[in-house]
Amino acid sequence: MLILHTSDLLAEAYAARLLASLAGVALEIRHLDIHPGRDHETDAFRVLSPLGRLPVLEGAGAPLADWQAVLCAIATRGDTPARADAPGWWRGADPAFIGWLGMARDLAASAGVARLHEGLGVPADGAALRAAAHALLREVERHLWFAERAGQRWLLAGEGPCAADIACYVHIALCEEGGIARMDYPAIRRWVDRIRHLPGYIVTSGTFAPPAPAPVRQPVRA
Amino acid sequence: MSGRGPWVPVAASADLAPGHVYQTMLAGQGLALWRGDDGAVNVWEDRCPHRGVRFSAGDVVGGELRCVYHAWRFAAGSGACTFIPAQPNAKVPRAIHATPWPVAEVAGLVWTALAAQGAPPADLAGEVLRALPVNRPAAAVAQEAAALMAAHPALRLFVQPLAADRAVIRGLAAGVDIMAADLLLEAARRRLEDAALMEAAAC
Repeated sequence: MLILHTSDLLAEAYAARLLASLAGVALEIRHLDIHPGRDHETDAFRVLSPLGRLPVLEGAGAPLADWQAVLCAIATRGDTPARADAPGWWRGADPAFIGWLGMARDLAASAGVARLHEGLGVPADGAALRAAAHALLREVERHLWFAERAGQRWLLAGEGPCAADIACYVHIALCEEGGIARMDYPAIRRWVDRIRHLPGYIVTSGTFAPPAPAPVRQPVRA
Repeated sequence: MSGRGPWVPVAASADLAPGHVYQTMLAGQGLALWRGDDGAVNVWEDRCPHRGVRFSAGDVVGGELRCVYHAWRFAAGSGACTFIPAQPNAKVPRAIHATPWPVAEVAGLVWTALAAQGAPPADLAGEVLRALPVNRPAAAVAQEAAALMAAHPALRLFVQPLAADRAVIRGLAAGVDIMAADLLLEAARRRLEDAALMEAAAC
């Protein structure tokens, strides 16, 4: 059984939980209080995660304390033989996939830190981080706009989303909490909606579940 | 530059995906755009009358706009509120409604107007370019757009003022590779935004 050490405050942890839910991978969740508590800085936790980072995944070989390593373990477990014909959650042989995972790290370091700065008081130069995030978002927008034009609905060509979509999604979906608006990025906004509507989508604080289909309403008597 | 009369393009037709609410702004006023089941586009003030939450954070469900906050529903066209889940059996007061703006869909672009006078633009053709938001006032962007059109007659460009210091370049290209046109617009944006940085540095 995979064990995920997580905090509901962190976008990277949400990425792991969201990917697991979308990919049908069961997780045993262990919550840490990182604020105001400091569970991630205890000696015991440092054994699992020397840099004190979250999320951490146990049960897939040695403990994994890098969020994208965690996504890799979850994604490859989700790419079961039954799904062998589908492009899959993990596309490690595709250079574009590696590039988009890199973009996700860049978004974490800009939009992600801006969010932690606003929400948890992490010291940072908010204006510089927001400017850096907008430069990245302009490139994501350009990519998704031309992708849509080619009939593509996700970051990579193929039938469905992959782990790179989820890695980028969590920072983009939560970026408004760091003072970064998404109005300038309509293709990104449509892509965010498509991810929200995926079967198995789960929310975190700051995201919203897609609506159920319109209910049948009783007519109001005059 | 903004088209015939007061009409301004604020979205591409292709921006209005099924179920999705598109977000933009015109002269400081937030706008929410969505396509109803009848195919007609709705341009509304981006503000639910309940608690002021942006309609653009919501969804289109059953041909109506559903606000993300308390799931109030609003009808296409009139903008009348049709359903308040917290009071499912009550008749919704007629005073509760969205605020619609004028709308016209021409040449693959969606147009609105601060005050609708005269007909929407006509005689436009070409493929719709990717819209580029620029962090410069509309006047500066319009000047650059005029220079681009003079150099490239296949381009027909429009400027949508977002707020005092920001504007969007939109346009149509007849017989020009869209990616090449996109590179031209990106270069223009860099010129506009770098100029602002140099002005700021010189102060």
